[in-house]
Amino acid sequence: MTRYLRLLALQLQVSAASAMAYRANFLIEGVMSLAWMALTLLPLIVVYSGRDTVAGWDEPKALVVIAYFMAVRAVLEGTISPSLVDLVEKIRSGSFDYVLLKPIDAQVMVSASRYEPWKVFDLAGAIAVVIYALAQRDAPPAALDLVLGAVLFGAGVLAAYALWILCAAASFWVVRLDNLMYLLGAIFDTARWPVQVFPRAWGFVFTFVIPVAIMTTYPAKALLGTLDAPAAFATVGGSLLLLVASRLVWRIAIRSYTSASS
Amino acid sequence: MIRAANLTKHFKVHKRPPGLAAALRSLVHRTYDVVKAVDGVSFTIARGERVGFLGPNGAGKTTTLKVLSGLLHPTSGEVAVEGHVPYRRQAGFLGKITLVMGQKSQLIWDLPPAETYAMNRAVFDVPRAQWNQTLAELTELLELGPLLDKPTRQLSLGERMKCELAAALLHRPTTLFLDEPTIGLDVAMQAAIRDFVRSYNQRHEATVLLTSHYMDDVVALCPRIIVIDQGKLIHDGDLRQLVKTKDPDKRVSFTLPKAIAPDELGKLGTLLAREGQRLTLRVPEREVPAVIGRLLGELKATDLAIEDPPLEDILREMFGKHKTDPPPEPS
Amino acid sequence: MRSAPSRTLRALPTLLQIGVAETVAYRAEFLVWILTTTQPLIMLGLWTSVAREAPFRGYSSPRFVAYFLATLIVRQLTGNWVAWQMSEEVRSGAMAMRLLRPIHPFFAYAASHAAAIPFRSLIALPVAFVLLASSGQSALSTDPVQLVLLVPSLALAWLATFAMLFAIGALAFFLTQAMAIANLYFGLFSLFSGYLMPLDLLPGPIAVAAHWLPFRFMLSAPVELLTKSLDHERLARLLGGQLAWTATLLAIALALWRAGVRRFESVGG
Repeated sequence: MTRYLRLLALQLQVSAASAMAYRANFLIEGVMSLAWMALTLLPLIVVYSGRDTVAGWDEPKALVVIAYFMAVRAVLEGTISPSLVDLVEKIRSGSFDYVLLKPIDAQVMVSASRYEPWKVFDLAGAIAVVIYALAQRDAPPAALDLVLGAVLFGAGVLAAYALWILCAAASFWVVRLDNLMYLLGAIFDTARWPVQVFPRAWGFVFTFVIPVAIMTTYPAKALLGTLDAPAAFATVGGSLLLLVASRLVWRIAIRSYTSASS
Repeated sequence: MIRAANLTKHFKVHKRPPGLAAALRSLVHRTYDVVKAVDGVSFTIARGERVGFLGPNGAGKTTTLKVLSGLLHPTSGEVAVEGHVPYRRQAGFLGKITLVMGQKSQLIWDLPPAETYAMNRAVFDVPRAQWNQTLAELTELLELGPLLDKPTRQLSLGERMKCELAAALLHRPTTLFLDEPTIGLDVAMQAAIRDFVRSYNQRHEATVLLTSHYMDDVVALCPRIIVIDQGKLIHDGDLRQLVKTKDPDKRVSFTLPKAIAPDELGKLGTLLAREGQRLTLRVPEREVPAVIGRLLGELKATDLAIEDPPLEDILREMFGKHKTDPPPEPS
Repeated sequence: MRSAPSRTLRALPTLLQIGVAETVAYRAEFLVWILTTTQPLIMLGLWTSVAREAPFRGYSSPRFVAYFLATLIVRQLTGNWVAWQMSEEVRSGAMAMRLLRPIHPFFAYAASHAAAIPFRSLIALPVAFVLLASSGQSALSTDPVQLVLLVPSLALAWLATFAMLFAIGALAFFLTQAMAIANLYFGLFSLFSGYLMPLDLLPGPIAVAAHWLPFRFMLSAPVELLTKSLDHERLARLLGGQLAWTATLLAIALALWRAGVRRFESVGG
């Protein structure tokens, strides 16, 4: 176990060193982070300038959903996506073979191998939005809601991670698939809206087929105190199910790689 | 100990013919060819041996190495390395072997090799004391000192290869799979790496399997060679034995002060090459002393050289011939 | 040797053919690009929900449907990923190879992406039928002048989009973070081009900015032609804007390219 943690720490250190190599990055990343926050919030502001509620969600509640969206996106862009890009590059150059030769599980080695440390700005922005949104409400959140909100944030991140692993597994079969990231990004983009806002068919898809709702809507409801226990369990359960499924697909992908590569 | 029994590995490659019609057709229907990269290969290698894999490009050498190191599942047949089944990739197995691929790099590109080494230490869970000792030994043998803290991308090809070797050996593996480790390197660096591999083999009784296109690598390092062509094993045995069996004649080269009549020349041996006054003859081994005597004595030849036939020639003749010959017994 | 333009022209059919072959060869990747441009369907879901009870600032649900289906069609016909492709080629070294060929890469890339339009139309066409069937008179323009002008408008939109992305791709000669800029660009594009929502719905100062920025003329312009009733003055300004921005973007793209290649050749890639 300590071996894994040591590896993780080393990988973080390596990425941080790379990131801080260029001091201009700090400024550029800060500005980009602000720009993205503005772009993310604007559609929501437009919608609520003409409506008080949409599908039962008022502005503060919708802001919480979008804050979760920003937070999960920060983790995605902070480590999951960069690691996936690194993996695809390794597969293409053949260096992935060396990953398989190490006595550590390949999925663990590639999962958090690269970081974009500046995405921590985006995370800070998300927290700021949550605080603002919760401040608009009548009462502060209960301690239980905070805990549940945090736990479901973790579940949401795991669900997003699982989706990305499925994508990584696909890139073993169809080598030139590194633009799949963009597809996932487009799909994930729907998570910024509460899932109830979409027509019922979409809602079903986004809850059970491509469960982006697990990543933002349900954690938001937890924080807002409107998620009942069965739904909370179902959300966590769904996240774990996705994780297990992605692990299975990954193993199949590795099996295929080690049968077909030359 | 490495054991392969009837090892077979087939690949499916999809055919992509040129032209617009074929391209559109491949949108809905793809056809595949089966490539037999390794076809029923068997051998046993004892601990501490140095074995060279020879064969033309695409013969199946790299595929065999990959199966032995666990990177590929064999299609059929058995394989065991140091008591493990390679493709299960158990941690115990992976800690005992190493694979170095001359064309692929495990060093992190933008960072100094030292960072990759630290990563490997964490991954292989090597105790610090042993690590430091191994690193010191490798640094000295490979002269890595000034290279360790330069980003990998700033190193020359030879320097990078040395660092790659070190990265591969820091966990003290007892079986080394080396796939074209000297490719693209200059002559001095090739010799340095050869010396290093021999030294490591002797110090740690490590088994070495080497594939290379450079005959010098194989001749210098490997007493035993396995020749693979089109996935089939066509020779397994002592290198010098192979040369003696396939072509027992020596090559005698010399310079004559004056021209010699063709039939006189024919009595000495078969003419292979002529460059001005420098001639190369093919002489059966038992006749060599007599021929030398005549050349040095009455013919007053200078710059005399007696050599074994080039390994390339022998191999080239073997490749493509095996289809008609019966498979040889391992010697 | 013949002059460069005539050589390029003669090579064009082959370039297009190769473009088609590439599209087919990398069909999985191509499919993914197509799927990423179906975002308007998501927005359609959202905005029809918002406008379900009552129109949102003049946009009723059917009007939103027409708008986003039109946006989807235009996006399919004008989108491309040349910035990403150029960034990858600089990284992989394939760009160096490309520079050695006698065809200017701008045309080579353009031909390659233009060749994909027939395939993208396969997606756009059924959507077009759905649009016509579901919206009819109420939300679509019936002015023949507007509809005729749709063709040059689409062509200009395609060229402007291509020029802009080519310019961003050329940034890969200067920065390793060219793709980060491309992503930010796409964020701006989604907002200011009408991809996320009709430009009419943007708040005051942002709407004003949107009317002048180039993004509008890459996507919203043909969509407006399709879905709105425009008097001749506004029509002229719209198309004039497209012409002006397309020309400007082409100039910027080629200038950036030239500077980038010079740097590439001096630095050695």
